[in-house]
Amino acid sequence: MLWLYIHFPNLLMDHVRSTRDDPGALVISDARKQSVFQACPEARALGIRPGMRLKTAISLAPDLAIMAAAPEREQQVLEQQARWLYRYAAHICLRPPDGVLAEASSMSRLHGGVDGLWRKLTQALEQRQLTAWLATGQTPRAARQLARADRGQCTDSPETLNGLLHGLSIAQAGLPERIAERLARVGLLSLGDLMQLPAEEIARRLEPETLQLLQKIQGTRPDPQPAWSPPHRFCQRLDFTRDVEQTSGLLFPLQRVLGELEEDLQWRQQDTDSLLLTLRHRDQPETRIRLRTAGPEHRAANFLALARLRLEQQALVAPVEGMALRVSRLIPRGQPMGDDLLGDGPDTQEAWQVLISRLQARLGDQALKVLASHEDHRPERAWSHGRPVRPGTASGTTCPSARSRPLWLFNSPEPVIHLPEAWLSGPERISGGWWDGERVQRDYYVAQLTSGQLAWVFRDVSGGWFVHGLFG
Amino acid sequence: MSYAELHCFSNFSFLTGASHPEELASRAHELGYSALALTDTCSVAGIPRAWAALKESTVKLITGSYFQLHDEILGDQPIALILLARDRLGYGQLCKLITTARRRAPKGEYRLYKDDIREEHLDHCLCLWLPPPLYQADSEATRTWGLWFRQQFGQRVWLAGSRVLENREEEHLQQLRALADHLSCAIAATGNVHMHRRDRQPLQDVVTAIRHRCTLESAGLHLFQNGERYLRPLKVLKRLYPESWLAETRLIAEQCTFEPGSLKYEYPSDLVPTGLSAGEHLRNLTREGERVRFPEGTPFPIQALIRKELGLIAEMKYEHYFLTLEDIVRFARSRGILCQGRGSAANSAVCYCLGITEVDPRKVELLFERFISKDRNEPPDIDVDFEHDRREEVMQYIYRRYTRERAALAATVIRYRPRSAIRDVGKALGFDPALVEQLLNGIDWRDRETGWRQQILDKKLTRNARVADQFFTLVNTLLGFPRHLSQHVGGFVISAGPLAELVPVENAAMADRTVIQWDKDDLESLGLMKVDVLALGMLSAIRRSLDLIGQRLARPMRMQDIPQDDKATYAMLQKGDSIGVFQVESRAQINMLPRLHPEVYYDLVIQVAIVRPGPIQGDMVHPYLKRKHGLEPVNYPNEAVRGVLERTLGVPIFQEQVIKLAMVAAGFSAGEADQLRRAMAAWKSHGDMSPFRDKLIKGMLERGHGQAFAERLYHQICGFGGYGFPESHAASFALLVYVSAWLKCHYPAEFYCGLLNSQPMGFYSPSQLVQDARRHGVNILPPDVNTSAWDHTLTEPNQTLRLGLRLVRGLGRDSGQALVRQRPARGYQNPTELRNIKGLNQRDLEALAGANALQGFTGNRHQAYWQLLGHQPPAALFAKEAAPSYESASIALPEPTEGQAVLADYASQGLSLQRHPMALLREQGHLQHCLNASELLKAEPGRPVQVAGLVTGRQRPGSASGVTFVTLEDETGNINVIVWLDTARRQRQPLITARLLHVKGVLEREGEIVHVMAGKLSDLSHLIQDLNVSSRDFQ
Repeated sequence: MLWLYIHFPNLLMDHVRSTRDDPGALVISDARKQSVFQACPEARALGIRPGMRLKTAISLAPDLAIMAAAPEREQQVLEQQARWLYRYAAHICLRPPDGVLAEASSMSRLHGGVDGLWRKLTQALEQRQLTAWLATGQTPRAARQLARADRGQCTDSPETLNGLLHGLSIAQAGLPERIAERLARVGLLSLGDLMQLPAEEIARRLEPETLQLLQKIQGTRPDPQPAWSPPHRFCQRLDFTRDVEQTSGLLFPLQRVLGELEEDLQWRQQDTDSLLLTLRHRDQPETRIRLRTAGPEHRAANFLALARLRLEQQALVAPVEGMALRVSRLIPRGQPMGDDLLGDGPDTQEAWQVLISRLQARLGDQALKVLASHEDHRPERAWSHGRPVRPGTASGTTCPSARSRPLWLFNSPEPVIHLPEAWLSGPERISGGWWDGERVQRDYYVAQLTSGQLAWVFRDVSGGWFVHGLFG
Repeated sequence: MSYAELHCFSNFSFLTGASHPEELASRAHELGYSALALTDTCSVAGIPRAWAALKESTVKLITGSYFQLHDEILGDQPIALILLARDRLGYGQLCKLITTARRRAPKGEYRLYKDDIREEHLDHCLCLWLPPPLYQADSEATRTWGLWFRQQFGQRVWLAGSRVLENREEEHLQQLRALADHLSCAIAATGNVHMHRRDRQPLQDVVTAIRHRCTLESAGLHLFQNGERYLRPLKVLKRLYPESWLAETRLIAEQCTFEPGSLKYEYPSDLVPTGLSAGEHLRNLTREGERVRFPEGTPFPIQALIRKELGLIAEMKYEHYFLTLEDIVRFARSRGILCQGRGSAANSAVCYCLGITEVDPRKVELLFERFISKDRNEPPDIDVDFEHDRREEVMQYIYRRYTRERAALAATVIRYRPRSAIRDVGKALGFDPALVEQLLNGIDWRDRETGWRQQILDKKLTRNARVADQFFTLVNTLLGFPRHLSQHVGGFVISAGPLAELVPVENAAMADRTVIQWDKDDLESLGLMKVDVLALGMLSAIRRSLDLIGQRLARPMRMQDIPQDDKATYAMLQKGDSIGVFQVESRAQINMLPRLHPEVYYDLVIQVAIVRPGPIQGDMVHPYLKRKHGLEPVNYPNEAVRGVLERTLGVPIFQEQVIKLAMVAAGFSAGEADQLRRAMAAWKSHGDMSPFRDKLIKGMLERGHGQAFAERLYHQICGFGGYGFPESHAASFALLVYVSAWLKCHYPAEFYCGLLNSQPMGFYSPSQLVQDARRHGVNILPPDVNTSAWDHTLTEPNQTLRLGLRLVRGLGRDSGQALVRQRPARGYQNPTELRNIKGLNQRDLEALAGANALQGFTGNRHQAYWQLLGHQPPAALFAKEAAPSYESASIALPEPTEGQAVLADYASQGLSLQRHPMALLREQGHLQHCLNASELLKAEPGRPVQVAGLVTGRQRPGSASGVTFVTLEDETGNINVIVWLDTARRQRQPLITARLLHVKGVLEREGEIVHVMAGKLSDLSHLIQDLNVSSRDFQ
């Protein structure tokens, strides 16, 4: 049996760079170890290497851009690769964080031998601007170690493959570090050296696990590979290296993702009528935009037209640092649609969710708001209306009853025209918010207005008097 | 009207208060308060500072502390109270309570329980109860608590009524009045003060956010509603509070009479035999010492000196201090622990007789009187250094002698530095933490010209100018704020009575260590005595070397047996041959030695002090050198200045001289000079020198000095800030310089052996020391299981140094010692014997084999290592391979190449006795055209050269702006490379990351010192890896 392994030495970096227009040096950092995880070619040209301390990297390139690595993001990106590779091979396995293994014997027949397969994959990888090291091998382990060492060759000849394997250094063999260190201390430098030792000696002196690994590489010990299958949804995530401040700036990256969606739907022979676009902001909650097509659809151009219309209406609440496109409703082609406005999907939602979506669908997403209290001393900041969330998942709701505040707060304070008839309590001084440019410095009083209303009145730092709200 | 503020947090309530104690104190003075109680959270750490600020003021300082009970709540709020010390007894009770609460909690926290209030004696304390918002609390429970307070404190309890204009305050106060009536207890007005002025509110918000680990944006109701918690003007208070509440504060203040200045130190009397006075005892001990020091009779001038010193000590009542030190030093001597005193008063005839110092009064112009100042009335400061690996014995002795009740370490206040302040303020303002870290990493802190502020602006942390301004203001204000108390390196406070009644004691981070709540400046300002017990590696090395010499000479060798004024020793130093020598072994010192050309002991005192940022930045080095070599005339503006500067040829070099100059030339009083000294020490972090500028310059002009002289002196003082070296310390250090240099010069084998056995210490790695030792003709042998001890040892013939097993990386001390202990007389014969040693594990064996310590009975190190690998039978999973009949196959492993062996040596012991890697690379033809270090010495200056070597040092000293000094090592010695800023910027990669560096540059020579001015740098690190390639395959 022949296996093919694709190693992505720069997976996250390639992913990030595909949406980046800034040519400066960039590294992805391992935040925990304060070290460089992956470096872009520009950074490498300055002498920055993976594993280097971040501090050293910054002294080499003072203007270095740094992104923190996120394992779950890496996993997602790897899955994205698996999804399109799935088209070339029926049996593939993910090797997180940065590799994909595929059974190659059967697939090479389809693609005109190993050479044909290799060529097609290389082209596809180039198209996607991914750095990838390919290798074939007679066992999954052998293919993996050769690929990770970038020693792969387009061949299925056992002799050649064996020779390549023997030439791997101990460091490239994937042995635990302490074993590799021991081997260095006895002067064994290559995997070939190690393979010449009697199995008994290896098991006794270098721990049984070493022998186990060696046998898996050589194929004398079973190494089952559970197959991966693509999820029944499409999910693609983009991370921008620089915040996008205009909706128009989102269209270009979106176009690429929609292209991938079309490819995916095409391959699945399915359509969709509902796309969820999520925009991530640095400090604000994310913005969710649902796009609905008139009917089942799979063409990127149509999706894009819809998205453009929708984004033109949408003002960005904050700069966008990344976005995700998610399609979970897949409709087999040629199947008639239900008459129901929402479609009669198999996933029956909770009543709340149904109500919310019905209301949103009828009134428009923007028309539906939920009130919440917010911890802030400034009255106008002490409450918020936001996107509906499921009951119970709401956060930041504290009991405001401990404070005496009017239930009716004006949208904006109104100047006092006639001085109140009676002052009932006060002053309560509120001063804060200097950090976000909405500084408040006021003395509040409860007072009875000439109209008889019980009002919450304040004098601000400039001396003006305002009514801010009314008590019941 | 008048008012006493009774509830006030300083920034010693960490991340709660937003003002320094001294700021609060002087603000209270400005506002005309009658008294100010500093009531930090379970702490009196800020008291000395507030006290010092109020010394001259009419504002009375009240000592108090704020507590929350750990085990009780009322309406979901903790029970909070303030205790104020009424008198000295009450102060002791307060300290004791704080100690109790602090000692049972982890460092930085406290636990106070309801029962503590009942059980501890607090009858000399007053109590303010701070009830929680009463509209939220159950009124029945509130009353019960009120009665409890009444019960505990009787008439000594008040209710605190605070108006800070918050929501529902009126309701609360109304109910407070009702509660007061119910309890028939008076209400005292309090301000709940967190800052001295209202404009500190932003900083108070920031520290609150830092405390809650959130941003200001998300801090929400953790922040105060407004900025009213400041020291408010009397007229505001008058408007807010009923007169009766204000009057109560005055009544309370009148009852509090405790004055921190009255904390006179009560010296432990343990050391004085009954029937003798401390003075008599000290005189007797001194006389005893005289007989040892001057067996032929004390010279007449010394006798007079001793009389004078004893008189001064008696006058200042410092006898106990000297007796305490004498006792500690006596203990050390009885255990054979080497020690040496330094600092003001250490270099005196009395200390020489008492054995506190070895500096012979006949050799040095005595400095004693200069260091004990009658005017300042401060305790003398003597630091005693002990062998670093045996100091713990001395500390344990102190704890034993005086018990933990009476001895504790002084605190060190850890304060906000630019880095931590930027980080924390950035976090609170919600800056991207990764961006802040990146900025911090990118800032060049030593770039004094641009300063970090400008650098951050240049890096565009924020585009918003308003936010940037806020950020800088906040960071600047936060700088110098205390963050937590840590333990002082060795400053002991020893008291006569229980220490906890003098100052609270709390837990340090280290287990079994406790610290008091004051640091050394606090102790000094209150006039309390502290004994510094410090650790010094060189003393360990010297003691070990002396022991080895003693063994060789078959008679004890002591420090005082070393002949003085040895010409050969000075000749060696004059050549800059000083690797391993105390204090003068750094590259800068090595370069200075030939220029300064030390010939006598006092030259060494100067040598120690002159290579410091202070003298260098104050431009004192060149004038001094010129004058020393007679190239520039020495002159003095007047006799007074001559008195101060004569011994350093008119150039101020020591810290004391600068202080003294301010007095002599600018007319500073002793007190003012002392303030100047403190400002200088603090200048580096947050101090401000400008107030002294006018006074200094004006004073000097008035005394007839020229403007230029005045400006120069001011410049020198600033340069000294924090970096100046005191002569009193240099004098003691110089002695150790001489001793270690003499050892190196005359007994190199013993010297290096002692030095290597005291590692880690000093400037150089064992590898560099071993290479230097070999260059000085010491024969060195590798570690070996059959001949090495744990430590490095000397063996005959010819004082050969056998490296010890301690050098083997990964080998535990216990294992190594077990191996030596169980070694049979004929030595170990095979690996099996090694395996049978009790106490050695597989890891140890592998470490030994990896270090090639088994040469005696195995072929090559690869084979030795293989034989020691895994001897446990494999698990059942591998039944076939684990068959009992299995006979170990004999496998012939390849011999290591020379390159492999050298790399393995470095990996396993950090050094190699085989050929230097550079020699191998040179032989392989990789380094053509490169000169080695010894060829470089003979090369012509001004000529382009190429060099290469292992990078052993990369330094960017603060005193040389922009220059990087790189030290390369090859098989013949060290090569000094100088890289200018421009060159460095263009070639960051090789400069920063190369392990093996190739340099094209120009040779420069100054006397015996040779440098290469770097041009092109290349990274040749890959050549090191290539050494590991094996030469042939094995069968």
